Amino acid sequence: MKRILKIYFRLLSQNIKMLMEYRIDFLTGAFSFIIDQVVGIGFIFIIFSQIPELAGYTLDQIVFIYGFSLIPKGLDHMFTDNLWSVGYFIVQKGDFDKYLTRPINPLFHIIAEKFQIDAAGELIMGIILVCISAGSAGVVFTPLSVVLLIVAIIFASLIYTSIKLGTAALAFWIKVSGQVTQVFYMTNEFAKYPTTIYSDFIRTVITYIVPFAFTGYYPCVYLFTGENPLFNIGGVVIVSSVLMMIALTIWNRGLKAYESAGS
Amino acid sequence: MNKFFRLYMPFTRAGIQSTLMYSINIIFFSLSELLYCFVMYYVWLAVFDASDGQNFMGFDMQDMVLYLFMTNVTAYLTMSQADSAIAEEIKDGSIAMRLLKPVDYHISILFKDIANPIILFFMVFLPMTVCVEIYRGVTAGMIMFQPLNCLLYLLSGIIAYLVSFYLNMCFGFLAFYVTNLWGVSMFKKILLKFLSGAAIPLAFMPAALKNILAFLPFSSLSYTPVMIYMGKYTGAELLLNVGLQVFWLIALIVLCKLIWNRAIRRLCVQGG
Amino acid sequence: MIEVEHLKKEFRKVVKEPGLKGSVKSLFKPKYETVAAVDDISFHVPKGEILGFIGPNGAGKSTVIKMLTGILTPTSGSCTINGKDPAADRKRYVKEIGVVFGQRTQLWWDLPLRETYGVLKEVYSVPDEKYQKRMELLNEVLELDDFIGSPVRTLSLGQRMRADIAASLLHSPKVLFLDEPTIGLDVVVKNNIRNAIMEINRTEKTTVILTTHDISDIELLCSRIVMVDKGHKVYDGSLDALKSKYGIMRELVFQPEIAENFSEKDFIGGLKLGGEDLTVGHENGKWRVRFNSEKIPVKDMLSYTLSHIEAKDISMREADVEEIIRRLYKEGVGV
Repeated sequence: MKRILKIYFRLLSQNIKMLMEYRIDFLTGAFSFIIDQVVGIGFIFIIFSQIPELAGYTLDQIVFIYGFSLIPKGLDHMFTDNLWSVGYFIVQKGDFDKYLTRPINPLFHIIAEKFQIDAAGELIMGIILVCISAGSAGVVFTPLSVVLLIVAIIFASLIYTSIKLGTAALAFWIKVSGQVTQVFYMTNEFAKYPTTIYSDFIRTVITYIVPFAFTGYYPCVYLFTGENPLFNIGGVVIVSSVLMMIALTIWNRGLKAYESAGS
Repeated sequence: MNKFFRLYMPFTRAGIQSTLMYSINIIFFSLSELLYCFVMYYVWLAVFDASDGQNFMGFDMQDMVLYLFMTNVTAYLTMSQADSAIAEEIKDGSIAMRLLKPVDYHISILFKDIANPIILFFMVFLPMTVCVEIYRGVTAGMIMFQPLNCLLYLLSGIIAYLVSFYLNMCFGFLAFYVTNLWGVSMFKKILLKFLSGAAIPLAFMPAALKNILAFLPFSSLSYTPVMIYMGKYTGAELLLNVGLQVFWLIALIVLCKLIWNRAIRRLCVQGG
Repeated sequence: MIEVEHLKKEFRKVVKEPGLKGSVKSLFKPKYETVAAVDDISFHVPKGEILGFIGPNGAGKSTVIKMLTGILTPTSGSCTINGKDPAADRKRYVKEIGVVFGQRTQLWWDLPLRETYGVLKEVYSVPDEKYQKRMELLNEVLELDDFIGSPVRTLSLGQRMRADIAASLLHSPKVLFLDEPTIGLDVVVKNNIRNAIMEINRTEKTTVILTTHDISDIELLCSRIVMVDKGHKVYDGSLDALKSKYGIMRELVFQPEIAENFSEKDFIGGLKLGGEDLTVGHENGKWRVRFNSEKIPVKDMLSYTLSHIEAKDISMREADVEEIIRRLYKEGVGV
């Protein structure tokens, strides 16, 4: 374990050094993500200039949900961004061989190799929105709710990771799977708003199949009302764990099926 | 004229072939964009549900659906990859090879880039528009499709594409000065989404901001053609907006040539 | 040290019928075909040997290397290296080997070279003191000093290859796998790399398995070669044995003074030989007659030539390894 951490921080410091090489580039990137979120919020404000409530939620609550959903998304984006490369080119180009000749877990190696600073844009924005809207959205912070909040964020991030991991691993069979990841990943857009606005079909899909509803709306409902923690928070933990197990199974099977390019 | 096309058509043909190789990518990319449209569709349903009237700042639900899907498809259709094409050539030095060929640099890039909208027109625009029109027809109980508007839309769309192309050319020339374009192009993409009205319809913005954005070249990219398709612009307003598109197109062509002439001198001084 | 027994690797490939119809068909009802990339290959390598692993493109070389390095799992058969099974025992096993794929780099692209070694030090848990010593040695052998502070993306191909080899040797592996280590390099760099391999092999008794298309690599480095073709082993033995077995081709080179009324056709007609056994060519006024010395003894060849042509600068040459290998590739099996 100590060795693993040591390697992780070593690779992390490599990433920071790399960022310094392309400082301006990465700062611009992170700044762009902030702008994107600001525009998204601006849109919500414009809507609420005309209506008092959306699906029974106030402006502050909608902003809270929106902001909350950005935190797990940003965390996952920051730490496991390299999974995209697996689906887009690492497997296809045969670069995966390299990881197999190293005496550490290839999945760990790939994830540790990239630290995506751009995600700071989403994270910062998410935290700001949650902080400014929490009070008026009716969120009461108690020791219990803070603990549950943190648990929810961690497991919600893992939902993102699992979806990327499971779909990226398809590349072991079909060589390029980045577009599949893209379609599944884009489903997270649904997480920014209350799931009650969607049709039953879509609600079922984003709750049980591509469960992004657990990365935003459900935990927020608990924070607003304190109701049903078993489903709203417990659901995040269970769904996320199940999904991670499925993703790891796909990944491990993929490793066995891996036939590197250009045999 | 004939000779002109004979000289440049091969660029388009090569462009179409290489784009078609990625047709799977295009389908998946369109699918994920479509997901976004659906999210917004439901948001609008909820908004109209929450507001008392049938009207939201001059748009009804049908308008909104039309706006939403048409804006996305138009933005996609008028997208140009000229910036990355140029940036890559500048970076790996193959731009020097281009200059040796007896063709105009800008036009050859244009004819290659144009493959993109041609393919997208068939693969994305046609099916999408048919679906949207069916939706409109069913909800209104009658055929809403306006052939004239559609025709004008296509005309305005062509200008929009050209504006987008020259805008991206100018942007691509940045690679002469900046080594890594990743962050900047991310920034450009997100800024364009906002400035062109793809993120929030210009009509919903505060009046002052709206007027400025409507005048800037970015509204030419998707907002103007979509408004024409929706029949929101007629008569003088229509002429004015298309005129504005043409104005920006000319301005950008001139700007592009200016930057090019300066950059080329720099290229020669450095010895490529 | 390395024991390979009846190694076999099959790939399942989708058979596509031509045309759009075929593509659609294979999308819904794919037809598979099993191809054996490696079929029943066995060989043993003792500690400290440098083994040249050669064969034409697509012969199955890389597949064998990938099985030996634990990247691919054999369909059947076994390989045991240092008593370990690469695929089953991967994580522990790869600590004992170094791998270089000439076409790909394992270095971190955007960072100074030094940083890559720093990371690999942690990955392979090399103690500080040992690391220091090791870097000094590698520096000396591969002359890394000039560019160790430069970002990898700015290195020339030759520098990058030296850096890659150093990276694979950092943890003092017992076995070193080199897949085309000299590809695309100039002569000076090639020599530097060959010397480094020999040096490490000599001082540390590192077993080296190397694939290459460069015959000089084999002549200079390898005491033994294994040749594969179409997934089968076609030759296993020393280079000298190969030469004596296949070195029956000779080349007679001369400059004709008066050669009227005599052409290459006359050679072929007069000696009643042809095809692979006898070829005649011209180059810069010189004639080159390649012939099979088993079909026509050298003595007879010489006297026949001299009786028909007045020539000067006559010389006789043995076929070089490249020629032997070219012949072997062409004939396929034959050992």
